[in-house]
Amino acid sequence: MTEQFEVVGIRQIPSEKQEKKNRWHEGKPVLSGGLLMLIVAGCLFCNLIMTKDPSYLDFQHYNIAPDREFLFGTDMMGRDIFSMVWYGGRISLFIGIVSTVISTMIAVVFGAVSGSAPAWADTLLMRLTEILLSIPGLLMVIFVQAILGKASVLSISFVIGITSWMSIAKIIRTEVRQIRNSEYVIASKCMGGSFFYILWRHLTPNFVSSIMFMVVMNVRSAIVAESTLSFMGIGLPVEIISWGSMMSLAENALLTNSWWLILIPGTFLIVTLLCITNLGNYLRKNVNRRERNI
Amino acid sequence: MRRFLTFLISIFLLSAVVFYMSRLAPGDPLVSYYGDRVEKMSPAEREWAEEKLGLDDPLSIQYIRWLENVFHGDFGISYKYKMDVLEVIRGRIGNTLILGGVGFLLIFVFSLLLGIFCAWHEDRMIDRVICKAGTIISCIPEFWLSLVLILVFSVNLQWLPSGGAYTIGREGDAGDRIWHLILPMIIVVINHLWYYAYMIRNKLLEEVRADYVLLARSKGLKKRNIMFRHCLQNIIPSYLSIMAISVPHILGGTYIIETVFSYPGLGTLSYESARYQDYNLLMVLCIMSGILVIVCNMIAQTINERIDPRVKMNELVCTMDITSEITGVAGMPDAADTAEVTRV
Amino acid sequence: MKEEEILLDVQHLSHIFPITRKISVRAVDDVSFKIRRGEIFGLVGESGSGKSTVARCVMNIYKPSGGRIIYKGVDVCDSRQFRKNKRMLQTTRQIIFQDSDSSLDQRMKVCDIISEPMRIQHMTPPRGTMRAEAEFQMHYVGLNADYLDKYPSELSGGQRQRVAIARALVMEPELLVADEPVAALDVSIQAQIVNLFRHLQKEHGFSFLFIAHDLAMVEFLCDRVGVMYRGKLVETAPVKELFANPKHPYTKRLLSAIPIPNPRIERQKGL
Repeated sequence: MTEQFEVVGIRQIPSEKQEKKNRWHEGKPVLSGGLLMLIVAGCLFCNLIMTKDPSYLDFQHYNIAPDREFLFGTDMMGRDIFSMVWYGGRISLFIGIVSTVISTMIAVVFGAVSGSAPAWADTLLMRLTEILLSIPGLLMVIFVQAILGKASVLSISFVIGITSWMSIAKIIRTEVRQIRNSEYVIASKCMGGSFFYILWRHLTPNFVSSIMFMVVMNVRSAIVAESTLSFMGIGLPVEIISWGSMMSLAENALLTNSWWLILIPGTFLIVTLLCITNLGNYLRKNVNRRERNI
Repeated sequence: MRRFLTFLISIFLLSAVVFYMSRLAPGDPLVSYYGDRVEKMSPAEREWAEEKLGLDDPLSIQYIRWLENVFHGDFGISYKYKMDVLEVIRGRIGNTLILGGVGFLLIFVFSLLLGIFCAWHEDRMIDRVICKAGTIISCIPEFWLSLVLILVFSVNLQWLPSGGAYTIGREGDAGDRIWHLILPMIIVVINHLWYYAYMIRNKLLEEVRADYVLLARSKGLKKRNIMFRHCLQNIIPSYLSIMAISVPHILGGTYIIETVFSYPGLGTLSYESARYQDYNLLMVLCIMSGILVIVCNMIAQTINERIDPRVKMNELVCTMDITSEITGVAGMPDAADTAEVTRV
Repeated sequence: MKEEEILLDVQHLSHIFPITRKISVRAVDDVSFKIRRGEIFGLVGESGSGKSTVARCVMNIYKPSGGRIIYKGVDVCDSRQFRKNKRMLQTTRQIIFQDSDSSLDQRMKVCDIISEPMRIQHMTPPRGTMRAEAEFQMHYVGLNADYLDKYPSELSGGQRQRVAIARALVMEPELLVADEPVAALDVSIQAQIVNLFRHLQKEHGFSFLFIAHDLAMVEFLCDRVGVMYRGKLVETAPVKELFANPKHPYTKRLLSAIPIPNPRIERQKGL
């Protein structure tokens, strides 16, 4: 220190840096969003980009490594992987979204009821979820699947949906427990607001932010669950093309060392999951920030 | 005492739920007992077989009989293996415990180290790289990771075996067993590591921003001292409680890995028993996992009550995300989750 | 006191909070008082003396463990009578809470908050739209119409409390219960709000159950005062009488605790 005294407190902050940072996409998951859009669009309009019929069994060209005609190669049954990836992605995404909708709906109703019920009923319901949670998820899926019969796209979404609502329900319940004793809910009750009015007007807007992240993540874990189940042979059969069922032939692929059968659908799967995760994280951070400012 | 009672009731309910669910699922348990011979059986033979296995009574009577037997220490026989259920499990449990237990310890240690490392280098290049890599890795479904590793290390490089617990004929050889464990173990660890490391990192960073750290700094304590003596000490208890909840989570995650590697453990066993209606075996497996979940939750609760006596029973469990048990892929490391723990 | 003049009649009210199976807290113990139409009744006492519990029992938030509360001839604690007169009870009684931070939903706009009671009761707003109604009420409590589209978090404490008052007034209540409405505010804002209450009461003529721990405020605003101590109502008297001639020892102690804005006298008061 050259000077004996120094002015403390007001210091000039260089403003150049701030200008640089203030671009619109700052902090937003542009790359993830873009990629996800691309994949979703590709899956939705798969008819336009598919070069082959994804379910056509071309027995002359089976198990071919990627070349010019078969961009991503073909599988054991001679189906074109490139077309299958887009076509199957549609089903994977569909399952992810439908099962999330199902589980969220169950969770909201269950969580809200449990959260606003008297203590004994609440304890009972929570014990029930705990018991359900302590059954290994895989076994639950096998049971429900067996009851429903043969696996189809809808039945598998249903199975994943009704086996994955518990943790969201628990979060909603905790939130509702906290919110329902706040004075604006009491005030609303005094004015004569019914249970559903309060649920819709006061509770839902206040817990949506805290479950939003969970819901997005639920899409992700539903897609993972579908592919895992299909891979293990208890999900979709090989004829119904999805990212998971494409990999159910992987055991054979290991024997013949056909890497494209494993790597290509897997890469698509992981990129999608990664994008969803990034979006979810962005959502969570944003929501948290807003709450803290309030 | 009250806890023990709730524990018993929970287990009892669990057994009832599993019992009814598994019986309601269509399927013929005779197939698992007699194999293909079932199809050639005459109706009379069938009836006899069903009576012998006690399958002709109504469900509730079957359930009561099962309970009675359990109280006498008799868990029944496995239809498929035609052995006492406990015998079957005894043969497999060691494998799962090694895979899950050692995996758990490795996760515990490495996530702590990695979390501290990242928190130490907060926002520097290395921290960012690790964070990004962690996010990517935690997105990979474990079955796919297993496939890729098998593809690389056993099919192409042929360094490591692709499945099983030992080479046939060398069952007693410990080295051989370890050799077979490497790949599954790597996957167990990699899959969960980042979830917990990230949690440690975030908790540490939260702690570092507390006022007492400022005080310690102004008193002239070294950065390293503050970090390890004070911050780390403050987060360890809550980390322990989270790890306690995660025990079943990690063990559940080994299910899929076991199946991919056809590793003879409890995971493959319960998968088989559920698919082939091996009821007696299934019940015991489910109840074992149920006990594990409940006991771990209780441990976590006890730890949390030690930290903060205001924490009430029941309130904690809602904090962990156990959904992903199906897939074993942990939900993303989640600051909201950890915040929940501290808030409750 | 003539019968028809009485709006609210609290008879032998008591309320017990169970804490565990063995321990319980007797928050309100045999409290009786009456409020006439157009009267401002103050309830004072130290914190924990059961004032808020009384207010919440009056508003049907808690179910009292003993006693009766008669409002306009209806026993509000009786669930049959309550159901029969539900709409009347819900529209003519309104409550204002202490902490405007938590009594307003953070995610609703001011205009929605103020018109919420009308929406719940499916009333047609007398001034055309809900928004116009909200604007009118805002104006009434001294808020600018600019605030209509703001969220509560963007307002100051005093403004938020005004919004809460506007929400209560929208139904033109006959009984307004205010549970320490000024305790969380700055002193200067407190004065503003209390003045506002006085002004509003004169215009509307509603009965007012005003709960406070600040005696000066009560002296300024109320017609009659009840003093609560450990769950019991120890003294009820018209405000002037109470301040001039307190009977109960607790009231005396309470009164002597009022700081006098003159240091010499204050010092003489003794320790």
